[in-house]
Amino acid sequence: MNDRVSIRVADLIGGPLCISAEDGQKVFEKVLPLLKNGKPVTISFDHVNMVISLFLNIAIGQLYGSFSEDEVRALVRVEGLSGDDMELLKRVVDNAKRYYSNPKGYDAAWQEEEEGESEQ
Amino acid sequence: MKLNIGTVRSDCAGFNSIAHIAEQSHEAFSDSVEVDFSSCDFFEANMAAPLYVVVARLRDELNDVSLINLRPALDTILRKNHFLTRFQKTVLIDANQTTVPFKIFKLQAGEQFFEYLESCMYGKGIPAMSATLTKRFQQSLFEIFQNAAIHSKSESGIFTCGQFFPQMHRLDFTIADAGMGIRDNVRQYTGNVKMNSCAAIKWALTEGNTTKTGNQPGGLGLKLLKDFIRINKGKLQIVSRFGCYEFSASGDSCRKLDHDFPGTCVNIEINTQDKNSYYLKSELSSNDIF
Repeated sequence: MNDRVSIRVADLIGGPLCISAEDGQKVFEKVLPLLKNGKPVTISFDHVNMVISLFLNIAIGQLYGSFSEDEVRALVRVEGLSGDDMELLKRVVDNAKRYYSNPKGYDAAWQEEEEGESEQ
Repeated sequence: MKLNIGTVRSDCAGFNSIAHIAEQSHEAFSDSVEVDFSSCDFFEANMAAPLYVVVARLRDELNDVSLINLRPALDTILRKNHFLTRFQKTVLIDANQTTVPFKIFKLQAGEQFFEYLESCMYGKGIPAMSATLTKRFQQSLFEIFQNAAIHSKSESGIFTCGQFFPQMHRLDFTIADAGMGIRDNVRQYTGNVKMNSCAAIKWALTEGNTTKTGNQPGGLGLKLLKDFIRINKGKLQIVSRFGCYEFSASGDSCRKLDHDFPGTCVNIEINTQDKNSYYLKSELSSNDIF
């Protein structure tokens, strides 16, 4: 018996546009408990017309805040994304891995940078 | 109060002119404000979006704003792109269909923005672009729109406008907001209260940097946009407060404006003849991604 759960994004968010943080969060909140229970999940983007990084950051990138790379790799699959959107997702995932390995790391470097040129 | 606006193109000088009228009228309240175009030799129609940042702020302070002494050609184009309907003038039919109408969106109106792009931009005078270019262009516009929606806190919404220049095979599209600006967002987030506007724009363009809070990754939108513009051989401008950043195939630069632009404006100019495919031919699978 195949116990992989399929999450049809277009059905879940009620349309073909994966463009908002709220809809990304909706997907994330469906995936999260399933992964916590060790259930394999397929996130299906069939019938989606448009997907942007903001949505993917929250729907999928955010998973790396709760699960290891090995866990995500073992349990999550995506389908229905075009070649260029898969590349976008790859970029989102790489960024999320960096972010959760050191969430505040980037910021400290800017504390001392580029002051001057007085502005009001 | 009468404010002179000079020639306005999609460049730092043009943004400086708009910022200048904002600065001059900064304290106006319940006044009559006339923006005088008599010394304006040329106004690129997509710049209606940043101009409306100033108008919206003035109207928010209960000022009566009017545009005066527009030359006939400018009056025509700004009626064709619907901008002058905001000043009680009627629309003219855009027979050449080179304009993408001026429009105001609420911050949460992402789906209406999609409908607007679908209905206004394609299959008209603007040439058919490759499917990949169309998609990447739309994605880029959404990234900008949602950036404005999340970060600007603009109470008057988001202003958009576009113009196609057929002889140059260029399409300019501009998204502006009357919000707090990149600098103040980044200052708040990093705690570096002296960071200037150009440094803040540079910060926002660095992959992984985002002022979004809530323990969520982000900070890719502007970087993706820059990558797209690089391949397309187009141009990107980000103007926010005193910073005027420009990126094109010949490099990037950020200039300090003489005046304070009271919001943020992103203008992208794309090469409509681009036939690039934009992605690697090797297919990525889930295993490659996670």
